[in-house]
Amino acid sequence: MSGGSLDVRVVSPARIVFQGGASAVVAPAWDGQVGILPGHAPMLALIGAGELSIDRSGGGSDTFQVAGGVLKVEGNTVTLLTEYAGSEPPASIPAEAIVFPEDVED
Amino acid sequence: MAGSRDVKRRIKTVENTRQITRTMELVATSKLKRATDRVYATRPYSEALHEIVAGLYSPALSEKYPILRRPEQEKRAAVLLCTANRGLAGGFNANLIKQARLLLDSLRKRGIEAELHVVGKKGIAYFRFRGEPVLTARTDVGDHPTVEDAESIVGPIRDRFETGAVDSVYLVSSKFKSAMSTPPHTRDLLPIKGEAGTASADVFILSPSGDMILERILPVYIRNAVYTALVENAAAEHGARRSAMKSATDNAGDVLEHLTRTYNRARQAQITQEIAEIVGGSAALE
Repeated sequence: MSGGSLDVRVVSPARIVFQGGASAVVAPAWDGQVGILPGHAPMLALIGAGELSIDRSGGGSDTFQVAGGVLKVEGNTVTLLTEYAGSEPPASIPAEAIVFPEDVED
Repeated sequence: MAGSRDVKRRIKTVENTRQITRTMELVATSKLKRATDRVYATRPYSEALHEIVAGLYSPALSEKYPILRRPEQEKRAAVLLCTANRGLAGGFNANLIKQARLLLDSLRKRGIEAELHVVGKKGIAYFRFRGEPVLTARTDVGDHPTVEDAESIVGPIRDRFETGAVDSVYLVSSKFKSAMSTPPHTRDLLPIKGEAGTASADVFILSPSGDMILERILPVYIRNAVYTALVENAAAEHGARRSAMKSATDNAGDVLEHLTRTYNRARQAQITQEIAEIVGGSAALE
């Protein structure tokens, strides 16, 4: 499916970590990696701790270590709000990033 | 010549003062630049977070999560006041303190018990002096507030709300409209008010459930409100200090001009007098 490209924005409380076009995003959701391609259905997901990788539209890719937050996909716009973003994993994982499966009710 | 020496000494003093206020103005200007950048940097996150929270919010959830509880009666309120650690910023601290005092008075007039949490030495000193108990007194938030600062300040207050120790939380801080305009501002932090959102499971894939996301995100939302308030407050403080120091420098210039004129007049008078004496003396000899 070719739905054009994704408009990706990764923001932490203090700054915009990444902003730009992308062909694919792989984000660490609370229950495992989630891959997003253009044309993805609208989605809201909690973010756990792990590696976020973004394949830029022009080629090449960026990876960040993120921990905690929320991911929103709507149209071809991907917004990832995270508590922590950096090249190294955080020293301690924020409580928001941990979701126990037994707490989740279906 | 005693009079003119006094004037000369005062000129020196005012010059020194002007030097200091001018330096403070310059320092505040450069800090303001960086602080303003930080204010703008917090906005994308706040806006996106607000959008998500507003989308997921539903008043019906208040039964389920203590952070969403909506007390029927407001019996006890917490007021969180953000001031600066340092003075010499014109009316900055005084305005914030006044705003908080008015809020406390109006709450108490309505029969609501009010407790006070203060950030910044200036606010703490004032309320301690007035004999008002200050439950949280924080002086460790500097020019560069962090998310951790915000969490450690608001965390205990949020817990008090969730356990029912307080029924509402107000935040008093400076709004950073521009470097020249930083009015004090009161914000209702808790309980959370709002309309039901539109991000339901029909439209969005929610992972995990919408309630769970909201439960995780709301504490972050509250913390972010305090974080942005601290960042704006830091910028507002520098803005206020810059204006205050600019007018102090200008005033010192005016005083200096006046004193110089007085000094010159005294000197002139002295010379005139001396000439008159010499002329008078030589006239007496003839």
